[in-house]
Amino acid sequence: MIKLSHRYEQISCRLTVEGFPDVSSGQGSQAIGILTGWSLALAGHTELEGKRDHLEALLQVVAPYARHLISGAPRAFGDPVSPVAVHPDGSRHRLELRSSQPNTPPMALHLDDAELADLVRCLDQLLLDPRLQLNLQAPTPQPLRRSELRKRVPLGRRIAAPLCGMAALGLAGAVSWMVPIPKPGSFNPTEGKGTSSVAAPGNSSSSGKSAVQEKTPTPGKTATPGKTAAPGPAEAPAPAPQAQTSQETGTRPGSSPTPR
Amino acid sequence: MPDVSTALSRPTPLPRRGLERLDLMLLCAEALDLNGGEAMVWMSEQLGYQSLFPNRVELWKRRCHNPLRRSTRRGQLQVQDTDALIRILSAMAERLYPMVRQLLSAAEPESVSEQRWALFRSRLQELIEERLNLRRVGVRKLLDPSEGPQLCHQLILSLALCAGNGGVERLKASLLDPEP
Repeated sequence: MIKLSHRYEQISCRLTVEGFPDVSSGQGSQAIGILTGWSLALAGHTELEGKRDHLEALLQVVAPYARHLISGAPRAFGDPVSPVAVHPDGSRHRLELRSSQPNTPPMALHLDDAELADLVRCLDQLLLDPRLQLNLQAPTPQPLRRSELRKRVPLGRRIAAPLCGMAALGLAGAVSWMVPIPKPGSFNPTEGKGTSSVAAPGNSSSSGKSAVQEKTPTPGKTATPGKTAAPGPAEAPAPAPQAQTSQETGTRPGSSPTPR
Repeated sequence: MPDVSTALSRPTPLPRRGLERLDLMLLCAEALDLNGGEAMVWMSEQLGYQSLFPNRVELWKRRCHNPLRRSTRRGQLQVQDTDALIRILSAMAERLYPMVRQLLSAAEPESVSEQRWALFRSRLQELIEERLNLRRVGVRKLLDPSEGPQLCHQLILSLALCAGNGGVERLKASLLDPEP
């Protein structure tokens, strides 16, 4: 059986896959169902080779990395023990490859945006090629979570609103604390009402004052010593209407108001 | 907020931010290609969207759902319309990929790269001033000399990563991102 080879090329990247058709599952003569090897040549870097597991590991990290990059929220993919890892490195992208053979140091490739885009396009072509029937597992692009996108907003802008809110709350609290609390019993609503009702109708303040003087019962004037025989209701401050009546009508000398 | 796991499995209309980004990326494609408006109509015909966009006015009316537009249109854009616009954008990005790649490449000489970026930004600025509402904060950020270049770089990088058929789902997923 002849070994098949398919090649996917971009300007700085060339991905080659080799294998055989899986005749047992009824694949065509041009389809690759059994992958024997693949190679990735990036311009200016060492050519990489691997098996199916390595290709799947490459897809598992590069596809989601490109997905995050297109949303402007790049982050690292691949843990320190996985065969392939990629993470942002300034304006470039660091692709780390770890060999399965012991005592082999990991290889790091620094790719710029154009080289990464080439690699992503090669992998896209590989996944969409109907001649490749390998059933490779690649993550489906999904919208990012709100927490993943939060890093896109600068820290200063993120904490500005809560800080302003807390400052406004503190300021309002301080202002309200400075306002004196009225003591219980210091406010008499009847006094306030009386003054306002008398002062309001008069045009001049003198007329208002005279009205108060006339209407306010004065025990000393009403109950004149010697002219009143007995302490009558005029001495008592209450009830006010009675005292007022006695003053307005006038107490004749010698006649004493007799309580009825 | 749409459920993230099933957002792409069922038709979900694009949010406001997604519509803004989609139209801005189409604007970038027009800035890269002097005959971009005509190319967009031609691409729409090539992809079989004559029934959706029978003429350039219909295409323009769909794009006017971008809230940043000078003459913006109210209402929700249909999912089939946004899908068609995404496919047209991916096809245009594939066609313009060599130019996009040149802009992104660090291997190019610094002076040449700066000239290319300056030309692209000046064309994009002309289009923005002609079509977008300059009072919007998002538009002013694009024209800002300090923030603008970074935003332009992000738009061009997005164009590079959404180019071709493989980029369609990636772009669609990114346009469905929630507000941060």
